[in-house]
Order: sequence, then C-alpha cells, then structure tokens
Amino acid sequence: MQHFTRHLIAAAAFALVAGCASTGETTGEQQTTAPQDSVTEQGITAQPGQDAYSYPYGQAPIQQDTYDTSGGAVAGGQTGGEQPPGQATTGGGAVAADRIVYFGFDSSEIPSEGQAVISANARTLTGNARIITQLEGHTDERGSREYNIALGERRANSVRQAMIATGVSPQQIRVVSFGEERPAAAGQSEQSYALNRRVEIVY
Amino acid sequence: MLFFGVGSFAHAELTIDVTKDIESGGIPIAIASFGGGAPENIAGIIASDLQRTGKIAPQPAGSRADYAVTGQAQPGGARGYIVQFQLAGAQGAPLLNLSFDVAPNQLRPVAHKISDLIYEKLTGEKGLAGTRIAYIASGGGSWYLVVADADGQNPRVILRSSQPLMSPAWSPDGGKLAYVSFEGRRPQIIVQDVYSGARRVVSAAPGINGAPSWSPNGQRLAFTLSKDGNPEIYALDLATQSPVRLTSGSSIDTEPVWLPDGSIVFTSDRGGSPQLYRIGPGGGAAQRLTFEGDYNARPTVSPDGRYIAMVHRRGGRFHIAVLDLQTRQFRVLTSGGLDESPSFAPNGKMIIYSNGQRLTAVSLDGRIKQDFVLRGNGRDPVWAPYGR
Repeated sequence: MQHFTRHLIAAAAFALVAGCASTGETTGEQQTTAPQDSVTEQGITAQPGQDAYSYPYGQAPIQQDTYDTSGGAVAGGQTGGEQPPGQATTGGGAVAADRIVYFGFDSSEIPSEGQAVISANARTLTGNARIITQLEGHTDERGSREYNIALGERRANSVRQAMIATGVSPQQIRVVSFGEERPAAAGQSEQSYALNRRVEIVY
Repeated sequence: MLFFGVGSFAHAELTIDVTKDIESGGIPIAIASFGGGAPENIAGIIASDLQRTGKIAPQPAGSRADYAVTGQAQPGGARGYIVQFQLAGAQGAPLLNLSFDVAPNQLRPVAHKISDLIYEKLTGEKGLAGTRIAYIASGGGSWYLVVADADGQNPRVILRSSQPLMSPAWSPDGGKLAYVSFEGRRPQIIVQDVYSGARRVVSAAPGINGAPSWSPNGQRLAFTLSKDGNPEIYALDLATQSPVRLTSGSSIDTEPVWLPDGSIVFTSDRGGSPQLYRIGPGGGAAQRLTFEGDYNARPTVSPDGRYIAMVHRRGGRFHIAVLDLQTRQFRVLTSGGLDESPSFAPNGKMIIYSNGQRLTAVSLDGRIKQDFVLRGNGRDPVWAPYGR
C-alpha cells in the first residue's frame, strides 16, 4: 500500500507539471514523439509535459488538418519509412522484427517462432544486467477495448515468464499493455489482425 | 444556465395518438422558418433534432400536420437576441409559448432547448437535444478527447495527447471526465474538470490502470488495477484517495460499472470466457449475469438501473446487446461487426456506441437509429448526464 501511495504522489506532481506546460499551447503545434524507449533503472523516463495538453471546455481550438482522420483509426503520420506498402504505424516508431513476438487469435501462448525471438533477446538481457526492457502487449481491434488491455497484458506477461525462465532477472523487465490502441497494421483483414496481436520487446 | 426564459407554459391537455408513433414515421409537425435574421437556422436545428428522435416527423411549413411550430429570433433583449416560439395543436390552440433572451453564441443551445421542450410536450419523455457526448478521436500520431453536442456538432477538443487516450467516463454532475491516458507511455487514470481544464491523476499504479467508472453519488471511482499480478476491480474514495480491492483470483476482472444500489457489474473470464458478473458494494461472492454466447463484455448501466448494455459476440461478429435485469430478457440490438463501447443516453431510451470507426446510436427497442456527424473518426463514446 505504501508503494502505491508513493506512486500516487509522484503522479500528482506529474499532473501539475503537465498542467503548467499546457499554458499557452495550441493544437496547431506539431507534437514531438513521446520519449519512448528511454529507460533507466528508475523506470521509464517520461517527459509528460510534452505528452498531453488539456483545455477548458469551449476554449480549445480545433485544427482541421490534424483532426480530420476519416481515413481510419490508423492515419499514418509518423511512419518510420520502412513499413511495407499498405501498412502504417500509429507513430510509436517501428520496432525491429527480431523484437516482436506474434500470437494466435484469443491466445497468449507463445508460438515456436516467438520462442526464438525471446531467447535471442534474453541473451542480450542476461549479458547486461543494466538493460531494462519494456514488454509492450497488443491485441487486434476486435472486442472490448479495456478487455483487450487485459489480454495484451496477459501476452506481455507470457513473454515475461519465458524470459525469466531463461534467466533474465525480473528487475530488468517491465510490462505495459496498449490493448488495441496502437495497431501495427491498419485495416480489417486477418493479415492485419495477425500483425497486431503481438508483444514488442523494447529496450 | 444557458438561457433565460421569460415566457410561460400554456396548460393544454394533450393526448398522443399512438397510431402515429414511429411505425408511421413519427408524429407530423410543421416547422416554419424563424424570422428576425438570426445567424443560426433555428428552425433547421429544431427540425433536425426532432427528426433524430425517430418519434417526430418534421414537415415544411404549411403541410397538413398535427402540430405546428412558429417563431422568431431577432436582435434585442439584454443579451443580444430574443428567441420566441410557439407550439400549436391542430386546432391552433397554443401548447407552448415561450421566449428566451440569449447571447449570440447561445442561439444553437436555445434551439436544442426548444427541441427538447417540444419533444417532452409531445412524448412525455425527456429530450436529448440539449445533452452532450464525449468520445476519443485519433490520427496523425495524436489522440483527442472531444466533447460535442448530442448530434456530434460543435466538437471541442479538451485534451490532445501524443499517446493513447481511452475510456472516458462522465461524473454524475456532468462537470468532470475520468479517462485513461498513456502519457509517459504508461497508463494512468486522470480526472479532468471539463470547464477549467484542471487535471488530477487519481491512479498511476504499476501495471494496468483502466476502465474508470463513477459511483452514482460521484464520490467514488471504480477501476481496474493489475499491480498485484492480474487485473482486479478496485473502488477509490476520491476524498481519501484510498483504493479498496473488490475482486480476487487469477482471472481477468475489469470494466466495472455501478448499479444505483452501489453494487458493481464487471467483465470477468473466471468461467473460461468473458461474461458479466455482479458483486456487492464491498465485493464478496460474484453472481453471473450473462449466459448467451461466449463473449459478453464492457457493461454499461441504464440510468434507472434496469438494463445493462454490453458488447456481445455472435458468429464472429461483435454486437451491442441489452439485458433486462427485471425480466432477464437478453436482446441483440445491432446487426454487428466491430460494435463496441455502449453508453446510455441520460433518458435511458438510446444507446450510443462505436462501430470501430464512427459513432452511432440505437434505441433500447432496436427500432430507432441515429448517426453522428463527426469530422474524423470516433470511438469510446459516452453520453453525458443531464447534469446540474
């Protein structure tokens, strides 16, 4: 409980910073990408002031060029330039294929190809105890969004268990689930869904 | 208050002819253009609002109709415009005769107010034209929390983030939104004052911080945390900030919502597939509520606590379905696809949801459908309460 309270206090300070940083900002400004992948032993280094801007109801300007997303939930944007045609990332930055474990429909069991990916990354982690990895779980877009958050976490925890089984220290692993919120591939095809059911090993 | 009424209600008896309900396209009502040169097409907004209800059929002025609306909106009064309207029956007897003194930027809200007054007079139900919705939009590497009028018009972005936003939930007074934000690349639950923009992080535990839901009195939030290893339901007293765990076990427990009596309905896969369960205000033994099919999730409760709408999978497609807690009748309301995130309108008659890309609404009986005009995509819609 004490641990939890400490988190709350840290988070409250964080919200205050975010609130101050929002002063004078407009939606017209191009957002910088989140400070992803910057990991320290204290945890993920966040610069939350750059992540979100809040506005009072009725005072927020709407910029058409960023707001018009009728093309779909995945509207391109900051692609890494190395996506195959027809695929767009959601701006999270491309993760190399040798750091992605894919899953079957409704499953958090690791297929054999995934085992190889995990083993290779586990070797890197056991070889350098200072590296912290964040396992990011994802699902396809079908079904309830919050339930998918839980399923994405279950997948990330499967990878975590597999890594621990090969000797990685639990202290080197953090888990986060994005559910269906950050698809790797757009569209409603089975192929897209298969690319989206994944855990990305980020470090 | 958005408007200032200076008129008075006429006390006329009104009988609704049920044969002219939605089977025949609704109650016919002739609506004349409002004279006076206001910058908003007030008659047009009223006609559109009434058409959306599915129970009233607006007609051009002069048509043979059971009712007629006439009015004016002209410069004057203390605030800028005087808007006056009259609803008359077939014999010309006035049923409503009101005027409002409003600022120019309140012409649209006052048109919605007039729509609701007419709707309430003719159907006996509270109207929705003056209500609001919130939803999430995304694109170009940004996520937006948007508040719009009940028809999707007049959208205002109240939060923009470079990381995902999800699961907005209105406080019972309509003044705050709780939601999940991934800013800093980790989930946390934030409560934002809609009018001031002030934000407060209410949960940032390790693991999942998800699915916030306000208690009926607005003093507590239920949500999902996985800090103890797997997703469990917690309730947090917002005054003391102390979260109490309500579920346990190795299954997924998430998506809590409160019934008016303080008990909580949530999604759990403890039986092997996601189904809805109910626990008491302090937790305890869970009672399973859904038995149709192998996927029932994301419950939402009608304002009177009688109905639970949910996401239901059938034949590989996701539908919105509703369970009547009184009769235990289970009904699928939508033809399905990627339907998700249902939310009841504050009058309990309509359910807004997302089909994955766009917002749409269906009536509790499945017969009326409404679309929402959005500039972009929309998901995670939540209908605001009537509020203060």
